[in-house]
Amino acid sequence: MKEILKLGLILFIITAVSGGLLGFAYEITKEPIAEQVRLANEEAMVKSFPQGEKFKKIEAEIPEDSNVVEIHAVYKGNVLEGFVVKVLSKGFGGPIEMTVGVSKDGMVQGVSILGHSETPGLGAKAQEDDFLSRYQGKSGILTVVKTGASKDNEIEAISGATITSKAVTDGINEVLDFIENHLDADNF
Amino acid sequence: MKTIAERIKNGVLVENPTFVQVIGMCPTLAVTTAAKNGIGMGLATTAVLIGSNVFISLLRKFIPSKIRIPAYIVIIASFVTLVEFLMQGFVPALYKQLGLFIPLIVVNCIILARAEAYASKNDILTSLFDGLGMGLGFTLALTVIGSVREILGAGQWFGIQIMPSSYQPAIIMILAPGAFFTLGILMAILNYIRNRNTKKA
Amino acid sequence: MEIFIIFLSAILVNNFVLSRFLGICPFLGVSKKVETAIGMGVAVTFVMTLASFITYIVYHWMLVPLRITYLYTIAFILVIAALVQFVEMVIQKTSPTLYQALGVYLPLITTNCAVLGVAVINMNEGYNLIKSVINGFGAALGFTLAIVLFAGIRERMEHNNILNAFKGFPIALITAGLMSIAFLGFQGLL
Repeated sequence: MKEILKLGLILFIITAVSGGLLGFAYEITKEPIAEQVRLANEEAMVKSFPQGEKFKKIEAEIPEDSNVVEIHAVYKGNVLEGFVVKVLSKGFGGPIEMTVGVSKDGMVQGVSILGHSETPGLGAKAQEDDFLSRYQGKSGILTVVKTGASKDNEIEAISGATITSKAVTDGINEVLDFIENHLDADNF
Repeated sequence: MKTIAERIKNGVLVENPTFVQVIGMCPTLAVTTAAKNGIGMGLATTAVLIGSNVFISLLRKFIPSKIRIPAYIVIIASFVTLVEFLMQGFVPALYKQLGLFIPLIVVNCIILARAEAYASKNDILTSLFDGLGMGLGFTLALTVIGSVREILGAGQWFGIQIMPSSYQPAIIMILAPGAFFTLGILMAILNYIRNRNTKKA
Repeated sequence: MEIFIIFLSAILVNNFVLSRFLGICPFLGVSKKVETAIGMGVAVTFVMTLASFITYIVYHWMLVPLRITYLYTIAFILVIAALVQFVEMVIQKTSPTLYQALGVYLPLITTNCAVLGVAVINMNEGYNLIKSVINGFGAALGFTLAIVLFAGIRERMEHNNILNAFKGFPIALITAGLMSIAFLGFQGLL
């Protein structure tokens, strides 16, 4: 019995010391991590809405089943230009976190991928401008086609990564739908 | 000085964790879709290996043998969490790419095997270099596998196009099956070389 | 419906071994005979389902209220190690025959990354308790399916004439790769 107590105590000491040290490390690294996240978000917003000058976080009611995470109103001077919405979409390897900039009249201004775990060389190509620029100026409900987008609302998929292309498009559709049905531009 | 060089050579060549001991297979197969991910995973594991080896060697007289395994696991998990914080703060893109496999470094058998077989019996300095050597061996293996898969599967190396544009990438190489094929064929090549050398000798 | 999809995708589409690369060590290590493969599969299924349940409780009822979610790696691995030890003791006391069959595999399960993997996946996906347990159980069945099929193939290969350089691990890995291609086909299922 005494031995078990002693062993338990030693294991407890090791765990407690580790836990304590990690708590300390967590406090130290918390700031740089938050700073990184802030910088990445800022960069993504500017990329999603290049004409925007001021981004202001706004509170809006987000439906329960929605994947929308965060909404920013975009201003140029004091005039509202549109919104940047952060959304999560389910990709091939896991969630894709992205921001979508949409003008007041419902046109996609730009898209930026914040984080993803898609396959390098395939799905990961979705974060390149070559693909993301395909969304610029689009509106309505977008659909993915494998080759040769002919209609206005069609997006050509990345070859070999249809699931990822669809996931990005789904996210954008969700944002367009959200702005159309749940945000009133007059309020901001 | 001699032992240091010997430890590193041991980890990289003689007892290479991937090609000779065939342990730590999960991350080896999972994250090697690109050379860069291979290096990242390798270095993260190396950091944990060095840390845990040093601490376990330091505490080897304090930890009773009956509870050594849980104690080692706690120490290893602490270093993994530490590495997780650092990667989140300083290389967030790589952190997101490696995702699940960062916390899973805890159960990488290489680390527990080194703790049990080496660090718990040797002094701090040689344990440190044992961890470094094993880590480098692991990093080397992951980088080689990642390079092969990235070059054949995407026509790129470290994200730079190196194959002529007429080359049609073999997408299967960066999907799951390609991981098994690449490692299988690399090991067969090593076997072939080894067999030939023993015949000569 | 959603639960059924999680279950099916854990077994086939995102098969733990062949598409997520979790649990490769036992997959390669204890798959020489179908019989042992089944034993390993049963033991893993048992532990993974239980681990999904307990890590959920620990995460949501301990780590979240105490605001120390960043310690999840340590917490999960300790829970798993303790659970494996506990299961081993219980089986030993209650059913010596089952213990004889599974005993050797149990200690190996602590370092089976599939167990810790499923706990972390449940956490990342934000599954509730039922979904976590179903996901754990499905993933474990997927593991069992893969390892038993693989052992079946390896048993037959014993009698084949394989190039010297490919003997042992290389041919096992190539076989696993071919199986993985077959499982890629399930991708279209969902």
